[in-house]
Formats: sequence, C-alpha cells, structure tokens
Amino acid sequence: MANSTGSVSHLDRHHAHHFESAVAEFEACKQGMWIFLVTEVLFFAGMFMAYAVLRVFYPDMMKAAHQLLDWKKGALNTVILITSSLTMALAVSASQRGEKEKIVRNLWLTFLCAGGFMVVKYFEYSHKIHEHILPGALYNYEHLTMAKVPLFLSVYFVMTGIHGLHVLIGMGIILWLIRRASRNEFGPNYFTPVEITGLYWHFVDLVWIYLFPLLYLVS
Amino acid sequence: MAWKIFGGLIFLTFVTVGVAQVDLGALNFVVAMLVASVKASLVCMFFMGLKYDHKENTVIFSTAFIFMAIFMILTFGDLITRGDVYVKDLAHIVPEGAVQASGKSKYEKPWESNAELVSAGKALYASNCVTCHGADGQGNGPAAAGLNPKPRNFTAGEGWKNGRKPSQIFGTLTKGLNAMPVFGTLPPDDRWALVHYVRTLGPHASETDSADDLKKAGLGEGGGGGGEKSIPVGAAIELMAEPK
Repeated sequence: MANSTGSVSHLDRHHAHHFESAVAEFEACKQGMWIFLVTEVLFFAGMFMAYAVLRVFYPDMMKAAHQLLDWKKGALNTVILITSSLTMALAVSASQRGEKEKIVRNLWLTFLCAGGFMVVKYFEYSHKIHEHILPGALYNYEHLTMAKVPLFLSVYFVMTGIHGLHVLIGMGIILWLIRRASRNEFGPNYFTPVEITGLYWHFVDLVWIYLFPLLYLVS
Repeated sequence: MAWKIFGGLIFLTFVTVGVAQVDLGALNFVVAMLVASVKASLVCMFFMGLKYDHKENTVIFSTAFIFMAIFMILTFGDLITRGDVYVKDLAHIVPEGAVQASGKSKYEKPWESNAELVSAGKALYASNCVTCHGADGQGNGPAAAGLNPKPRNFTAGEGWKNGRKPSQIFGTLTKGLNAMPVFGTLPPDDRWALVHYVRTLGPHASETDSADDLKKAGLGEGGGGGGEKSIPVGAAIELMAEPK
C-alpha cells in the first residue's frame, strides 16, 4: 500500500533548509507529483477529446475501424499493466519498511512487466505497419476502405504512442530506483523517490484502463 | 490488501471484455466506462493511497477532471451550434471553383419539383443513401441495424423529424440529423434532387413551401441560395481537407 503518512512522522533525516522538517519535505514532494499528474490528465484530455469528437460524428466508422485492432493483445496488456501496478505497490510498501531484497525484487518485476507491455505493443505496431494500417495518406489496407478510417488510426497511434513513451520513461526511472535501492538508500526514514515514482506508474496504468475499452472494445 | 485490489482489477478487466461480447446497444459504452471508472477509483484510492492521504491531494487531482469536463462541454457546445461560413470568407483557402460549385442552384425555384431533378435524385440516392435508408427507402439499409434512432422510412408520410416540405428536407441534408452525416458538401442542386426523389418514395406529398417556410430556411427568390452565399462549417472543413 502506498499508505505512508504515518511512517515518516518520527524521522530526523537531513532535509533541505527551506522545509520545516523531513516530513514536510516528503509531503511537498508528493503533492508536487500530484500536481504534475494533473497536467498529465489535461495533456491526455486533448487526445481523449479528439477521440470523443470522432466517436460522436462518425460512430459507424469507429465501430468498423476498431476491428483492425486485436482486442486479445489489448486485454493481455491490460493484465500486464495491472500486475505491474501491484508489484509497484508492493515495492513502495517494502521501501517504507526498508526491506531491500523485496524492494529490488518488486521493482525488477515491475520493470519486466513494462518490458512485456512494450513487446506486445511492438508486435501490434509492426503488424499494422506491415499491413499499411496507418494514419492519413499512409493508410492502404484493401479489406477496409471506409471513409475516415485513417482518422481512427491517427488517434490510435498518437494515444498509444504517447502512452508507450510514458511506459519507456517509467522503465528508465525504475532502473534508477533499482540502483539506489541496491545501495540500501531507502528505508522508513526516506522513500520519497519510490513513493512518487509509484504515483507516476499507477497513473500510466490509469490511462491504459480507459484506452483499452475505448480503442479496442468499441461497440 | 494490495493483492485483493489486484484481484478486483483483474476480475473487472474480464467483466469489461465479457460485456463487450454481448450487444447491449448504447448501454455497452456506459457499462465499459463505468467499469473503467471503478477500476480507476480502486487504483487511485488504494495503489496511489488517496484513501489514506491528505484530502488536499484528492482535491488537487479532482480539479484535473473538472477542467477536462469544462474542456469537453465547451468543445461540444461549439461543435453542435456552429452556423454557416460565408463563401467569400473562404476565398483564400479554397479554390474559387470548388465553392462556386456548391453555392448556387441553376433553377429559379429548386424547391419545386421537376422530372430532371427527380431522375438525378434517383442516381444520387443509390450512391449516397441506400446504405442506411435502403434501396426502397424503408429505412432498412445494411447499416441501419447499428443505428439508433433508426434511419427515416421514406415510404411513410408521417414522423419526419424536421418535416416533409422540400425546404425542410433540404435543411436536413445540409445540416445532418443524429447519425445522419452532413451532406452540405453536395452541390445544392444535388441536394434538391435528393429532396424531390425522396418525396416520391412515400404517399403523394401535398406539403409545399410557403414564402414563410422559404424565408425560415434562408431560401428565397433568385436560385436557392438567398442573400450572401454560405455553406455549413462541416462542409467548409471537408473542402479544406480535400487534397489539392
């Protein structure tokens, strides 16, 4: 669990001079991450808006075009990301207790899930590129020639592409955490980086929770 | 606890996939979004710890969704209330020929039927309308099954949403209606042709346009345009998006 407010109350860790205490520093860091996540929601909101407009204006096209996607791969990736959220949550709670082995193991599991997600994405993308199921003028797929289908693919590639970029960035941060955790840097007195990376990672899961039904399961 | 939440999330993923296999009409979307939101709440409350955290962070994160809602409401408000664009304002974007073609009727009073319009309408109907309205105009085309409300049955004289007068059907074609797309990109004479053909499919249409009806539809003496030439925003965007 990411429940953490209680466990830092007694610490006397060194903190930056503009903070009253290490607890205040931790709370400020976490709040900063929440504010960043607000900007992330608004960033994705533009893309969800584009999706909504297409869906309202061209419902038949959206219904036909989503069949170009493989919902089984989408469902598999949903399960993979949810699993990675679990291991991330376990890593955060282990870091609050300073259980080094457990932190490192769960971070590696999270990293592997993220890698697995990207591998599935790779197969999806390469299949589409191979079949010319692509946005705009690049679209050239004879089995579905309905008007405006390339617009669906623009939305699909931009949304999943930017989401995938978030996964890749997350993987980099997790590697950095693994290195710091191996040096025994995290414990009850200091686990801020693990906590706020956890927030970021769960947010990436959150976006996918909506992307999956919206893109793969249109009906 | 983390494991229980994980189990719940996996279970709900299977629910989403399962429900998607059953056709519930418009309800499918509602269920999918509800389930996704329950999953999102579980992630926020337990994995991200908002349940145990200061209320401040919940308030901060909620503002994102409030602003997202404002964004969506304003955008759709704009999209569904757009009027027409003056053709003269498009001159710098769209080649003049393209707009001219969709600006003016060659008939003096295109809202009055003639044989030429009806036969042109028959051909246009076959290429633009049969998918939804069906070959005989009974509203039972191949694509009709997925639509709600159903496409208009032209063989029935009653129940036409915008009315059955020529100017009213012309308006429906120009602006679209529910799932029916905007046909404002068709030149006006093509739209008039469809109007008069569609009126032949049902019982004899005695309704004709009074001077008031024409005025209300922005039509008038002098060729079906009336005043400054204009086309719907949707049609203008289509013209701009066409490859040069």
